[in-house]
Amino acid sequence: MYVAAKGGERAIQQAEQLFRELNGTFDATFVRLIERHMPYLIDRVMGEGSLYAPELAALALAQTGGDLYEAVLLLRAYRSTQPRLAYAEPLDEAHTFTVRRISAAFKDIPGGQYLGPTLDYSHRLLHLDVLDGRDSAPASPDGATGDPIDKTGAADLPFDPHPPALTDWHRRYGLLAPLPDLPPHDPASVPDVTRDPIHFPAPRAHRLQSLARADTGGVLALGYASMRGYGMIHPTVNEVRLGYADVRLRHPVSGALFSAGRVRVCQGEVVTPAGSGSDAHPSTNGAAPPAALNPGFTATIGWNEVKVIAGAMLDLEMEAANAHPAHREEFVLYHTEAVEASGFCIHFKLPHYVTFNSSLDAIRRAYAAVQQAEPQ
Amino acid sequence: MTLAELARPAQDYSYAFLDEFAKREVRRRILKAIAIPGHQVPYASRELPIARGWGTGGLQVTLSIAGPHDIVKVIDQGADDSVNAVNLRRFIARMTGVATTSDAQLATIIQSRHRITEERLREGQVLVLQVPDPEPLRAVEPNISLAREMHADADYALMWLGLYEQVVRFGTFMTGASYPVVVHQRYLMSPSPIPRWDTPMLHQAAHLTLLSAGREKRLYAVPPYTDVRPIEFEDVFFQVENQQGRICEQSGAVNKFMNEIPQPDGSMCYQASDTGYVEKLVRRARGEPVAIGATYYDDDGTFYHPGYLKEQEPDHR
Amino acid sequence: MTSLAFDLPRLLTTAPLLRARRLTKHYGAIPAVAGVDLDVYPGEVLGIVGESGSGKSTILRLLNLEEAPDTGDYTLTIDGYRGRNLFTLDRYDRRALRVRHIGIVYQNPLHGLRMHITSSGNVAERLIMAGERRFATLRNAARDALDASEFPLARMDDIPRRLSGGMQQRVQLAKAIALQPMVLLLDEPTTGLDVSVQALVLDTLKRIQRELHVATIIVSHDLGVIRTLADRVLVMRHGRVVEHGLTDQVLDDPQDAYTQQLVAAKL
Repeated sequence: MYVAAKGGERAIQQAEQLFRELNGTFDATFVRLIERHMPYLIDRVMGEGSLYAPELAALALAQTGGDLYEAVLLLRAYRSTQPRLAYAEPLDEAHTFTVRRISAAFKDIPGGQYLGPTLDYSHRLLHLDVLDGRDSAPASPDGATGDPIDKTGAADLPFDPHPPALTDWHRRYGLLAPLPDLPPHDPASVPDVTRDPIHFPAPRAHRLQSLARADTGGVLALGYASMRGYGMIHPTVNEVRLGYADVRLRHPVSGALFSAGRVRVCQGEVVTPAGSGSDAHPSTNGAAPPAALNPGFTATIGWNEVKVIAGAMLDLEMEAANAHPAHREEFVLYHTEAVEASGFCIHFKLPHYVTFNSSLDAIRRAYAAVQQAEPQ
Repeated sequence: MTLAELARPAQDYSYAFLDEFAKREVRRRILKAIAIPGHQVPYASRELPIARGWGTGGLQVTLSIAGPHDIVKVIDQGADDSVNAVNLRRFIARMTGVATTSDAQLATIIQSRHRITEERLREGQVLVLQVPDPEPLRAVEPNISLAREMHADADYALMWLGLYEQVVRFGTFMTGASYPVVVHQRYLMSPSPIPRWDTPMLHQAAHLTLLSAGREKRLYAVPPYTDVRPIEFEDVFFQVENQQGRICEQSGAVNKFMNEIPQPDGSMCYQASDTGYVEKLVRRARGEPVAIGATYYDDDGTFYHPGYLKEQEPDHR
Repeated sequence: MTSLAFDLPRLLTTAPLLRARRLTKHYGAIPAVAGVDLDVYPGEVLGIVGESGSGKSTILRLLNLEEAPDTGDYTLTIDGYRGRNLFTLDRYDRRALRVRHIGIVYQNPLHGLRMHITSSGNVAERLIMAGERRFATLRNAARDALDASEFPLARMDDIPRRLSGGMQQRVQLAKAIALQPMVLLLDEPTTGLDVSVQALVLDTLKRIQRELHVATIIVSHDLGVIRTLADRVLVMRHGRVVEHGLTDQVLDDPQDAYTQQLVAAKL
């Protein structure tokens, strides 16, 4: 009886208590453990929650028993209460410590490719020996035993943590349209999807912000549909980059730039030959010859490669002239909103007996009309 | 002095949860909505500690307009004790310090999902309706950019085409709740999923109605004493749900919107859906002094604006 | 370029109802219509022939105000619109004009009909758009227009998806004439129908055109259709008019080399 005549309040309290008891209590130590050992989970909650706060993301996960949508909602709701104190400077390569950078477009790229931390080439075997009491060992070349990585050894090549963007190279050769020659942006004037409702066609800022906080699964599903063949484009991954970015703020009094801390960020970039299926990029502005490649881009806080690759493809796909209905901007951005989609889905559990009753009445009326229309 | 002393406590939330900028934005949008009756005004719509789709639109409006002296009533399907209503009421009270009530006469703000009270609301009261889908054109035009153009042009022909089809196929209008209305002879509006029984209550009402969809980020308003007309033909009329012959088993009320509760023996039992109203009827029956306001429909089922609801002659095909 | 000096149709000495000048429309770099002039007189049928890609259907879309031209003037001698270039109307006025005064039948019924709405509803929509809000009036008008289009009334509440191609075209026609428009645009109305059905639909078109005395433009690649219906004909190629004149004259004694080819291929 979830609309019990008088028991509503008690029912709520007991239901929540039951959830807590089933899932056990936790303390600050447990929260720190999650934060330390589940970084990719934390990244996902922070990315979709659009709030960089590893400690709070860990708390949200602990509090919800790991229910991802609930955890994201907790973070978003907390975010609503926070005032905006300052706008950070735009991120760039020079102020991002890159740890992983790969490109599928060339065998090697200016600045080099770094595999960095990844499970891409690991054997996906459960480390069952951990269950027998052994520590989880670092990976080794032959997969089983062997020497641990020599953490102090010199790299084969000098490592540059600030490699230039590969798109710089494309632009130098006219493969991509030049960046607009605008004065440095006032960050406060950038449209903000958390402060303004989105209209379509969406400002570029709204689109990139929406993708940055979109549901990873949703972006993947729509992006995968495009990759699998419903798409108009055939892109190549130009660059995927993971790193630590300085959040640079300007001191309100002295005007000096300082770093308020480092955050994990990642970005994905895909390119497709212009005119391959999509001829929609109206990027030719006057004298400049039309660019040979069209770019797609997604970035997010935290490391989430699936999201930025699929998102970059969707970014490109949304530009296509006759994109599949599931790849049009309004469709993609509305339906990959993690909190809205999950919230609306579970709202169907709420009682709807008044509306159902109203429909029943209409059906009864139709029956009556049919009976009246029958020959006497 | 330590950093901990300088920082505010972690569990500190603003009054009414939302920060002042967010509340100010909502209030500005409300003013715009009142100025353009029935027109959907986009707003940023912050996330709240309640799942999206569970009343976050109504909640943002209530939190933005409530002050410490307000008295708030929250109902879901007409019930004050529905778990969702309880939850929202607890949250509003916790964050704003308002008093709460189940008495529609005492409340200054009534937040509701799917119902309007049976007792007439009066001037100065605000009804906040939670809206899942603010767009009445959604069924005929899912693309909101195109739907906005249709609103701009007052191009609502497809809605009447829908009515035509229903009458041709079924001999009657088939829309259940969320029956579309035209506000102030201009904008087509979804009244939120209230039953048709409640739709006329919006017409020339003394109170202000604010409708808000948090997930869809739109809010709109019906100002006091504004025309609200359900879409219908000049010769086939809008009909409210038939409540004839139903008696509330708890209060004896008649000609009010009834919940139908199927019984194991195959029969149907009826309970008035407005639990605040039922509670007062029960208390009065026990001899307690209780003020019950005039209702929109009298005990004969007659609506208080004469001529607004019209009897329908049978089949039209 | 076409000259402005059309041959005056027989028996017509009044001013043209429809007048279009310098119609031009490009799709990308491709000129679909390149500087076409045309006039249609009250009650007259103008045929436009040409192979696919000649721009003839584009002209109908322009005249139906579905698409904006690159350049061009378009006037109708109708109260309220006299002397206005209809291409400059805003969305709202454009819609009002189309609903009231222009009927169109497309080759593909998917373009002209709502496939999940009853046939009578498809016709009634036009009256609803014009503001009619009485169910009985909508019902009767739909029935009358379908009847005039020789559509079997027993099926008036079937959805078009369940109808034959010929019947679908009759529903489109009923929808086009439901408000007795001043202009009727026919875009390959019988293409794709069986020959026998085609003849019947053509008969209906001809009868309705005469009864309503409506200025009509019919676009077809089928010279037989043009000969049956059109008083005058324009021959189009690569977006331009290569020849124009009275239908019999042009089809029996084509002057332009392309028209000669067209006629020879047909006969």
